[in-house]
Amino acid sequence: MNEVVVSCRGLNKTYQEDAVPVHALQGVDLDVSVGEFVSLSGPSGSGKSTLLNIVGGLDRADTGEVVIDGVELGQLNNAELANLRLHKIGFVFQAYNLIPVLSAQENVEFIMQLQGVDARSRRQRATEALASLGLADLRERRPGELSGGQQQRVAIARSIVTNPVLLLADEPTANLDSATTEELLQVLQHLNEEHQMTIVTATHDPLVMGFTRRRVKLRDGMIEHDEVAMA
Amino acid sequence: MAARLVCQLAFRNILRHKRRNVMLFLAIMVAVAGVTGMNTLIRGMQYGMLDAAVENLTGHVKIHAQGYRDDPNISHSFDYNPDFVAQIPAEQLLGWAPRVRLPAVIMSERETRGVQLVGINPAQEGISFLADVAIDGERLTDDEDGRVLIGRELAEQLETQIGRRLVIITQGADGLNRERGYRIVGTYDADGTSLEKVFVFTGITRLQKLLDTDQVTEVSIRLTGEEARQSTRDSMTSFFDTLDVTDWQELEPTAAAMFVFADAAIYIWFLLMMSALIFGLVNTLVASVMERVKELGMLQALGMRKHLVVGQVVVESALIMTMGVSLGLAAGYLIYLSIADGIDLSSFAAGVEMVGISTMLKPVLHVGDLFIVAYLSLVLGILASIYPAWRAVKIEPLEAMRA
Repeated sequence: MNEVVVSCRGLNKTYQEDAVPVHALQGVDLDVSVGEFVSLSGPSGSGKSTLLNIVGGLDRADTGEVVIDGVELGQLNNAELANLRLHKIGFVFQAYNLIPVLSAQENVEFIMQLQGVDARSRRQRATEALASLGLADLRERRPGELSGGQQQRVAIARSIVTNPVLLLADEPTANLDSATTEELLQVLQHLNEEHQMTIVTATHDPLVMGFTRRRVKLRDGMIEHDEVAMA
Repeated sequence: MAARLVCQLAFRNILRHKRRNVMLFLAIMVAVAGVTGMNTLIRGMQYGMLDAAVENLTGHVKIHAQGYRDDPNISHSFDYNPDFVAQIPAEQLLGWAPRVRLPAVIMSERETRGVQLVGINPAQEGISFLADVAIDGERLTDDEDGRVLIGRELAEQLETQIGRRLVIITQGADGLNRERGYRIVGTYDADGTSLEKVFVFTGITRLQKLLDTDQVTEVSIRLTGEEARQSTRDSMTSFFDTLDVTDWQELEPTAAAMFVFADAAIYIWFLLMMSALIFGLVNTLVASVMERVKELGMLQALGMRKHLVVGQVVVESALIMTMGVSLGLAAGYLIYLSIADGIDLSSFAAGVEMVGISTMLKPVLHVGDLFIVAYLSLVLGILASIYPAWRAVKIEPLEAMRA
């Protein structure tokens, strides 16, 4: 594994909205090293979600270079990008995005199933991941039978169970109350500190920023501040 | 492993909208049951026409002298070697009958009609409609019986009745007319009034004596099934190499055309019923895809390849179709069982007799038809998923990131 997990150089992205160009990213440079816990903040339209999507291989920059764990994303076709997402990146979404027809256990097993992990190993790893997040008793429940916080913890279990090199979280606490948010952030902090999980999260929430050691603030598609909090 | 996951997701998604999919299953079930039930009736009509054609003194295979069919005259008669029977496998042969069949004029005290005078051996006529026909009076006793059995309709036309005498004139091998008086032994009531007007039966030996011949004009062979027709025709052509060997399809071209049309009718009926249904299936699948745009995008964001997303939609369609068709085939079979004894069409008798089928329509279940319906339904189900699958392919993983 490379020391630098994420390397962005000169990223530019422009959207056309009603024939008006919107510069979502303008020359963004960003490196994230192994074990960092980074928050991307900024007002709406600042480009944090666009940056997260490009780093996650869900969108492509107009110009510039993105390298994830030594792989330059610009060289990959859509299928290869899907494969990279499958094996190297874990996602946590604002709206949890669990598969409603699968149980918590099956949701956590889902990515391993796509990766071709055998059933026994899959079951064991998913069970352990859920147990480590305090969800051992809720394994058979479907998302509709879980609270928002429980669903988000299942989503985190799903994203980390395959040991990705990078965990991307897009507003992971936006739909949660303060107590649940804090609980969840402790989970993420634990993953970062105990397991050296590299985490990048886009957020509006000062509480989330308070938990991250490195805080990157964007405005108008550019990095305004990039600071590392003192331990 | 991915295939199992795709099937699991597709199956769970079907269960997700129980009410909507139950309605769809029922619609497919009703359509397939209707098609299956209708197919058994179409097959029943088809085989009814075949039986009518074959029983109409034609048989599956028939042997004439050369020229008889153009000029049905006793001069076009032949001696036959009964050893031909050995050429036909016993399990394929239902029976055979030699006959003398000639055009004749029949006269009562009041009326005169043109008919077909048929000399038969009653013991061998189990292969023709005479075997099952309702008779007033008596049947002919044997090949020496010098009385006549005529159709009920002809009796009415001739304004005569059982026990009365008729005069029949026909031509002998020498070209001279032969004339003889016959007493009516009985009248028969066939399915088609045309048969009753045309055929007049008497003992074959007595007719041969009248005509100064010991030859026959035809040998009719009835088989146990249509499948053996062509092979039997071929073997008879070899055996009777100087004679004219034909089959019912050649002798009854209208019935043969109707037989082929019935095959086409099964496909036409299926396509009509299922085409209407397919729009419902496409609509349901599109709705299912469009309400899961975010979810399908999320699956791709997590690393699921597009072909698996498409596979999920196709499998969903195939599963819906399979379940609906299975229920439909079972319901269709129950429909068949409920009408297996036949449907009495006697109130429409005049109409059905015109097309040469019995007034009792008996459904016929072909296992092959069930497979065709199942197979074509599955193909249609997969075709129906093309458009929804295309819509699914258009969904980008970014959709999942937009809350």
